[in-house]
Amino acid sequence: MKKIITIIKISLKEYFVYRLNFFLWRVRAFINLLIIIFLWGASLKTFSIKEKQIFISYLIYGITISYLILGTRTTDIADDINSGRIINTLLKPISFFRFYFYKDLADKAINLFFAIIEAFLIVKIFNINLIFPKQILFGLIFLINGVFISFFINLLISFIGFWSRETWGPRFLFTIIVSFISGGFFPLNILPKTIYQILMLTPFPYLYYLPTRIFLGERFPFYIFFLSFFWLLGIFLLTKKVWITGNKSFSFWGK
Amino acid sequence: MITVKNLTKIYKTPIRQKNLFQDIFFRKYKETIALDNISFSIDENEFVGFIGPNGAGKTTTMKILSGILYPTSGEIDVLGFYPFDKKEKFLKQISFVMGQKNQLIWDLPAIDSFLLNKEIYEIEDNQFKKNLNNLTSILNCSNLINKPVKSLSLGERMKMELIASFLHDPKIIFLDEPTIGLDIFSQEAIRNFLKTYQKEFKKTIILTSHYLEDVKKLAKRLIIINQGKIIYDGSLKNIIDFYSKEKIIRLTLEKRPEDNFLKKHSLLKYQFPFLVLKVKKNQINQIVSQLNEEIDYSDITIEDEPIEEIIKKILKNN
Amino acid sequence: MKNFLHSLKIYFILSLYSFKTINDHRKAIFFFILGKFFRFLFFFLLLFFVFKKNPSVNQYNFNQVIIIYLTFNFIDTLAQTLYREVYRFRPLLISGDLDLILIKPYNTLIRVLLGGLDFTDLGFLIFYLFILIFFLIKYQFDFLNLFLYFLLLGNAMILATAFHILVLAFGILFTTVDHTIMIYRDLTSFGRFPFDIYRKTLRDFLTFVLPIGIMFSFPPKALFGLLSFENIIIAFLISLILFFLSLKIWGFSLKKYQSGGS
Repeated sequence: MKKIITIIKISLKEYFVYRLNFFLWRVRAFINLLIIIFLWGASLKTFSIKEKQIFISYLIYGITISYLILGTRTTDIADDINSGRIINTLLKPISFFRFYFYKDLADKAINLFFAIIEAFLIVKIFNINLIFPKQILFGLIFLINGVFISFFINLLISFIGFWSRETWGPRFLFTIIVSFISGGFFPLNILPKTIYQILMLTPFPYLYYLPTRIFLGERFPFYIFFLSFFWLLGIFLLTKKVWITGNKSFSFWGK
Repeated sequence: MITVKNLTKIYKTPIRQKNLFQDIFFRKYKETIALDNISFSIDENEFVGFIGPNGAGKTTTMKILSGILYPTSGEIDVLGFYPFDKKEKFLKQISFVMGQKNQLIWDLPAIDSFLLNKEIYEIEDNQFKKNLNNLTSILNCSNLINKPVKSLSLGERMKMELIASFLHDPKIIFLDEPTIGLDIFSQEAIRNFLKTYQKEFKKTIILTSHYLEDVKKLAKRLIIINQGKIIYDGSLKNIIDFYSKEKIIRLTLEKRPEDNFLKKHSLLKYQFPFLVLKVKKNQINQIVSQLNEEIDYSDITIEDEPIEEIIKKILKNN
Repeated sequence: MKNFLHSLKIYFILSLYSFKTINDHRKAIFFFILGKFFRFLFFFLLLFFVFKKNPSVNQYNFNQVIIIYLTFNFIDTLAQTLYREVYRFRPLLISGDLDLILIKPYNTLIRVLLGGLDFTDLGFLIFYLFILIFFLIKYQFDFLNLFLYFLLLGNAMILATAFHILVLAFGILFTTVDHTIMIYRDLTSFGRFPFDIYRKTLRDFLTFVLPIGIMFSFPPKALFGLLSFENIIIAFLISLILFFLSLKIWGFSLKKYQSGGS
């Protein structure tokens, strides 16, 4: 427990050192939220008041939660592998996965903190009537599920570093896909039914689309919950496997 | 060729304040004096070594002389130009090699970077070929110029950096730690190259290095800087004559001396049969004759104090 | 003239070299192209969902909304194609390798601004151009308005240039900030959608203070015949002022440059 707190504390301190940097990063995040709210605010005129309220609440909750789900420091890993610095982490008497998970927790916490403030500002500026969250406990389970799915996918992308110097290509693609298919711009259920059902077979909606919808009171068929756990387990096993093979196939020497 | 009068450079770094708002809009700065009112001049065909501890201002001086940094105050004239103006005519006559920085295009063979420099410096075809041949043969590396830079070792890359910097026949060359991080063989190769090159082409070269070996072997003139001030400017030989008040005597003994003898002299080291003594310069004759009387030895050498020691002393006293 | 040709020749060599390195990064570039293509497609679909069903929103029809979107993509991509080197400026600054560019008898600003023509984006640029022309033909335009549209596209590029120079200068002045260029990118993303969806105060701020509106919203407005003559004059004035200001700030930043690395 002490270890965890120390890792989180140190990670938070790093943000404090580069606080201007972090501040500007949040400004960028705020701009993106602002644009989306404006975009939909201008175009939901054919919606009923209730529908509009659910729609906007989805955007506010979903985008805020997305920082909790997607916030990560694992992007540094690929660089560490390529430079050989990863050795320093491997030699620490703590599991590599855990070490990065705690670092991620710090990142998630600080980003979520500011995301909530930004969401609050938006709610005030636009005078939004938010829906009060429902099914909280149930939603939390899938929120945590989403956190882990995201964590393992992020690790997986960084582990490409074992075989290639260029992980930024796949990461760029991932970021773009996640922002849309996970529901960062609109709730996925406005899509045509077939597209929606196909998307629900991919891991992306389980990051933050599903928990956000649960919080908004929607009910899902049972197989959706099953798929959420299926993806968690599948991606975890894959990540573990890739980590072991990567470690074996990679020589840390003379880098 | 180079004249510097009352040059001062102050670095400003923002200080973290209580809140972000102040950090952005009311920045406060910490001032660090990197160069404190220094003056010197350097003539054509000189090979000058800059020495001093980290942060003394060596690199800053060279960066100001080459126009990279803007001086806080002072007069500077290099080849008749004010360096910071970065006039093409001026830049074509200088060159700067830094051990830890690189100008070569990482993914491509070095020859591509050379060809780019050929255009940038407007080097004639014949001249380019001649210079390239010359440099590759002195450095013995014509086989490397067609390999991607990223596949070269540090030492090999440094050779390519040197070629890229010398192709345009610069009149003044600044070398900042050119041998840093290299193995001893590469260090030696680069040292020999610089020596040959300067002798053959009569360039003005200014060098800084942490390895005193570089300076000792290459520079005839030494400028020692500490905390932004020049504390010595003169020949390598003079520094020994001027600052060193002691000499070192090394003896190989035939038999063990008496305890009495050992107590009388200031011993640097004694491990039979070797004995090392430190002696005041003006007493040298007297001591040697004493030694002749008191002990039997098979070999004697008299040396100057190592230059490292002298410089350490100067910096300490400063 | 001789100077200009000389600079141009060096520009071609730098571009050729940037072409030569593509092969070394082909895997990453493949994902990169895929990502960019998806982004284009996704936003296209988003606009479809938002505006196709509400054709009356802000007086624009779907065709006009797409022209606005394509205009944004065209300007944004042209700037990326030409000024890709700006994205690599920070490593140059941190390692101190910029020192070795500063001592070259070739204008430093041109080198760090234009020194890395991006060929993948060049491909996208042509792609966008074709779709843009397709939609322009579908839209019944007036020739004078079309002329003004192109004139304002040129004006947008002056602004884009000024912004990129400012990004470089701020990079030197504020070394702790590591993504100045991305701040620019996020700010410009306001221009992806019709400006009329924003509230008037924000709209005015974005148009006359941060001139992003002039960059992205003015050209299509001129095409649709919705831009007054005074606004066109103001657009050019603001661009020129910002452009010269950016050059001044760049010069100032060089004086403050402290050289990184060792």
